[in-house]
Amino acid sequence: MIRGVRKGWKNSLRKDRLDKRRETGGRHRPKGRIKHRPKGRPAGRQDGYTLAVLFLVFALPLILLVIYSVSSAWTFPELLPENLSGRAFKYAAGQWENIAGSLISSAAYSLLTVGTVLLITLLPARALARYDFPGKHLLDALLLVPVLLPVMTFSMGIHSVFIRTGISDTFIGIVLVLSIYSYPYMLRALIAAYMRVSEQYSTTARNLGGSFFYTLLHVEVPMLLPGIAAGSSVVFLVAFSEYFLVFLIGGGAVNSYTGYLFPFLQGSDYSIASLLALLFLIIPLLLFFLLEWTTSSLYRKRGLET
Amino acid sequence: MKIRAGRNVILHLLPLLVPFCALFLTGISITVLQSFNIGFGASPGPGFFSAYQEVLDSQFFYSSVLYSLVIGLISASVSVAAGIGLALLIHNTSSALKKYTVIYKLPLILPHITVAFIVLIIFSQSGILSSLAYNLGFIDGTQGFPNIFYNKTGTGIILSYIWKETPFAALMILSLLQKLDNRYIQTGKMLGASFFRNLRVLIFPHIAPAVHTTFIILFLYSFGAFDIPFLVGESSPRMLSITVYDLYFRNQLSARPQAMAILTLMFLFSMIFITLYTRAVASLNPGARKV
Repeated sequence: MIRGVRKGWKNSLRKDRLDKRRETGGRHRPKGRIKHRPKGRPAGRQDGYTLAVLFLVFALPLILLVIYSVSSAWTFPELLPENLSGRAFKYAAGQWENIAGSLISSAAYSLLTVGTVLLITLLPARALARYDFPGKHLLDALLLVPVLLPVMTFSMGIHSVFIRTGISDTFIGIVLVLSIYSYPYMLRALIAAYMRVSEQYSTTARNLGGSFFYTLLHVEVPMLLPGIAAGSSVVFLVAFSEYFLVFLIGGGAVNSYTGYLFPFLQGSDYSIASLLALLFLIIPLLLFFLLEWTTSSLYRKRGLET
Repeated sequence: MKIRAGRNVILHLLPLLVPFCALFLTGISITVLQSFNIGFGASPGPGFFSAYQEVLDSQFFYSSVLYSLVIGLISASVSVAAGIGLALLIHNTSSALKKYTVIYKLPLILPHITVAFIVLIIFSQSGILSSLAYNLGFIDGTQGFPNIFYNKTGTGIILSYIWKETPFAALMILSLLQKLDNRYIQTGKMLGASFFRNLRVLIFPHIAPAVHTTFIILFLYSFGAFDIPFLVGESSPRMLSITVYDLYFRNQLSARPQAMAILTLMFLFSMIFITLYTRAVASLNPGARKV
């Protein structure tokens, strides 16, 4: 964003940069990232302990899954499995069609859920952030309820409606029920994002003749992107890792990775179960890297700070 | 600048209000109606309140309620307390190393069923901790290790919830902690406040909204959720969600109103809990922002 031109040396610096930008057709940017010197105290022994505890509690259990997945069996008194084996990998390779199929199906309904949720919460978030109206606080609280209540209380009722209308056991049914369950995360993120963005940008755009939807799409949404990204990742994760709702509404007719995974976790072959549990992580990690990369490159392209 | 605008607001809210009413409110209403033996496949007959009567008459229901309440309370309180500790730990990490603390988010991206599985392979009687204890000479065999799965205490369920939910609590609390000016704490220290006094007087009031919200979310979640008890739960006593599932899917059709009656009671309990809890918090510190 261009601020008012200041006097003094900063001004001349800015001028230099602007000149350079003009010379290179506006594509000049300083090479490499600017390194910020970390503020605060230097790293000490206490930080080492902290990281060790975090690693032990949160990362080690996943490493155990890795060890399980490369062992043929890891039975009681062994501290580490005696034999390494590619048995689980061979099994997974033989089942790749099922695995890939259910991963793709899960990713598809989760992405559709994110899209649906974004569509149904964008304008309400705008209203809740920018307008004052009677009953606003009550509505604000009421709209949070789906994430607080036990899922079963409304999903079982929805289930019988879906059976009546024939949406049960379909892809659409799953997307609908997951959207209703997960939209509060997106709504909160969008309200917070709208609060951070000054209303004057929209007013200016409208005054310059932009229609309501043009302003929404080209002025507001770009500025809401960090909030949209945050909300989307939570909604995606909730949808992608949900077991019960998909199992209830999908009724086994719609493939889902959690549904595929469950019997293995229940079974006695821990090696295969571990590998499949790890494979689950592929899609979320992939999407987060993609999201991180697209938002940061988008921001760089627009010359905004992330 | 806030604008007062009537029609505009309604148009804005419609995209959400329509699905909210059509799915969420309808879902709840159908659950309640079916609990009174009305409509949608449930057999008409024995009067409006028969399902409630049967549910409230059975001993099984009360043990299930108690079990769910205790498990919900323990896992939510421990998760929130551990989450405060974790958030402080991460907040106080030197900024040079702070980026590595993201590993605390790992349980957040795992589904509940995987979390229960991980807790199972670590804490079961033939699990990894048990092997470790055997090799260190603490126990003689698998029987020496405490059995926490498939017994009446529900420890396995609680441990799974704690591992999954502590990072969530920490995440919620960190977002507020980052806004706390560190100079307050330094001043407190300079004036001779101990760590715990600082925590009680400075830090806790600042993070309180996140703590209360998180507690409500986690308590009601572990009170009524299905995934984890379905994988590692006991058959008796049972979590309410499992009781409902059994009544609905593994019983005769005539038992379905009972399942819906339990769900209605859970719904009422949750609403009352949210109201009372927010009231209590508001009356404790008037003037503060509600949860």
